[in-house]
Amino acid sequence: MSIAQFLTIFISAVFIYNVILSRFLGLCSFVAISKETRPALAMSLAVMFVTTMSSIITWFIYRFLLIPFNITYLRTISFILVIATFVQFVEMVIKKISPPLYRFFGIYLPLITVNCAVFGVAVLNIDMFFINGEAIRASFYYSVFQGLCVGLGYTLAMLLMSGIRERLDFCNVPKAVKDFPLAFIIASIMSLSFLGFNGFRF
Amino acid sequence: MSLGMNNQNNLIVSVSPHLHKDESITKIMWMVVISLLPAGLVGVFIFGMNALWVVLLGIISAVITEGFLQLLTKRKITILDGSAILTGLLLAYNLPPNVPFWLPIIGSFFSIAIGKQVFGGLGQNIFNPALAGRVFLMASWPRYMTTFTKPLNYDAVTSATPLALIKEGRVLENLSYWDLFLGKRGGCIGEVCILALIVGALFLLYKGYISWHIPITYIATVGLFTYIFGTKGLLSGDWLFHILTGGLILGAFFMATDYVTSPLTRKGQIIFGIGCGLLTAIIRLWGGYPEGVSYAILMMNAATPIIDRYTKNRIYGTQ
Amino acid sequence: MKKFVKEFLRGIIRENPTFVLVLGLCPTLAVSVSLINGIGMGIAATFVLLGSNIIISLIRNVVPDRIRIPCYIVVIATFVTITEMTMKAYSPALNRALGIYVPLIVVNCIVLGRAEAYASKQTVVNSLFDGLGMGVGFTLALILISGIREFLGAGKLLGHTVIKGFEPMFVLGMPSGALLIIGLLLGFFNVLKNRKA
Repeated sequence: MSIAQFLTIFISAVFIYNVILSRFLGLCSFVAISKETRPALAMSLAVMFVTTMSSIITWFIYRFLLIPFNITYLRTISFILVIATFVQFVEMVIKKISPPLYRFFGIYLPLITVNCAVFGVAVLNIDMFFINGEAIRASFYYSVFQGLCVGLGYTLAMLLMSGIRERLDFCNVPKAVKDFPLAFIIASIMSLSFLGFNGFRF
Repeated sequence: MSLGMNNQNNLIVSVSPHLHKDESITKIMWMVVISLLPAGLVGVFIFGMNALWVVLLGIISAVITEGFLQLLTKRKITILDGSAILTGLLLAYNLPPNVPFWLPIIGSFFSIAIGKQVFGGLGQNIFNPALAGRVFLMASWPRYMTTFTKPLNYDAVTSATPLALIKEGRVLENLSYWDLFLGKRGGCIGEVCILALIVGALFLLYKGYISWHIPITYIATVGLFTYIFGTKGLLSGDWLFHILTGGLILGAFFMATDYVTSPLTRKGQIIFGIGCGLLTAIIRLWGGYPEGVSYAILMMNAATPIIDRYTKNRIYGTQ
Repeated sequence: MKKFVKEFLRGIIRENPTFVLVLGLCPTLAVSVSLINGIGMGIAATFVLLGSNIIISLIRNVVPDRIRIPCYIVVIATFVTITEMTMKAYSPALNRALGIYVPLIVVNCIVLGRAEAYASKQTVVNSLFDGLGMGVGFTLALILISGIREFLGAGKLLGHTVIKGFEPMFVLGMPSGALLIIGLLLGFFNVLKNRKA
């Protein structure tokens, strides 16, 4: 367990291999919910919560269920079920706390279940912190931290995008590209700029 | 949160570039173009006539693209306001001297069409159009974009840039700081002659068309960072080399300072400069690419709306 | 019957999952690099959509609301497994080409999205046509996007070089290029829509 490893995980997950702009996971909600900053941050918080908690739960399932019983091929389906259950829980909470927010998110809240970012980080944790079916030292802490950092990376991308789109609200954008087309083009240029992080080596 | 302002009421609350200087946009654009001419002329001298073609094609393509798109969308034709010419010029300055003729044409088309017009035209783009074009070209035709030629050798012998050599771990021979300052190295057309660039930059600073905040913080951050994290251990970095090489001077004075795509307030600009500097240095030292200026500036362009949001003063015009 | 045809067509144009509903982007970006992959993925996803929409509509009154999402996932995963096994048996080359994205149809927003927004609230026959329409809409979108990306990004179509001496734009083989193409296509469709109005 080393500070350097945690620092590496943080910088990689948030900047260098940003889940949205470099790995291209979680794009549906990125393009759909990033129009205004407040909802974007709310969605980011929800996603971050789900990525962190599901990192914890999936780690335990992999380590104490799938490996001992030699059924690691059930990884995909078991992880998805865990995430689905968790998102259902989050949905109930949000519905209770803030019905307008719940209505605003609409379909995109249950869709966190299939948000590639969430599933992706669960799989990434296993790929990175288990070698030959055995957990490396501090594997659990690294996994949870990575889950958190991927959520932070998602938040960063959402924050940048919503700032841009809010500013464009004041502008005289051509009617044909208003909203979604421009959002895609912005995402394209943003991801082109993140290409600068390719091939990173500490 | 969206304030619901719509342009049908002729209340155009745009955030740039109106707040910096009260002279017309056209004059500013043309002044920047003029200040960039020395660097281009020296570039052509160093790399040969092909470089001149690249520059001309870049400019012409930019102007035609803008005119055509404005015609198509029935908007006012503003091709003579100097901004398209500036974009075409800057894009060409960011290209290697011996690229095929269609490269600057396509690059300028992308810069104007996607980097600028799609956002609604001048003053509304988020990203520096020339740099958007450059990274697009880099991702599309990497081989052409990374083939450089020897300076002062009109037979177009290929040679690597100093930063590329460093990235491969090779030792630089026969390259003095003076060579770097004058531009006797492989590189992009408009980036190599630091002397010519500084002359242009000093002109712009003297006339007040750009302020020192962004360029100086940008360059200082790169210098400091590369000094601290030198290759031979801490506090041993060759900061002067890093300042004089690559596209840093061109980027810091002429692209990072673009009014439209950089923050409004002084505080925001300093944050912007530091951010660009950190990203550039990090990519140069540890990234896969030898140069990071274009990527760094574009990333900070993306952050500018957020920076503005959190550093805005209540009363516009006061600092 | 006319009503069903309308449901079907809705998924293709008015509520196209890729261009209007903005769903299923991750696999779209990843898979649409070549035309054959796009077609293959479209067909596989259509099958899953059809199956899951029908079953979920059938059980919609039985599933408790509080655990509906995990239940839908189980149904979807079952159909994905069937699809994967069928593909492995009858076209292993395509299965290899699509790789991890076949099992990842489970996380394709379109499938869960339609289950949640439509199949869980509508009759079986309606859901059938919705699933079919959405699947075909998705496939057509994939064909359009991957056709452009393969042609301009690799100079080929269906694996065959189309124009000699054409310098392909590598950026289109990357997700950044895909995002650009989708954005431009969306803008183009909007122009057509505005012109009709």
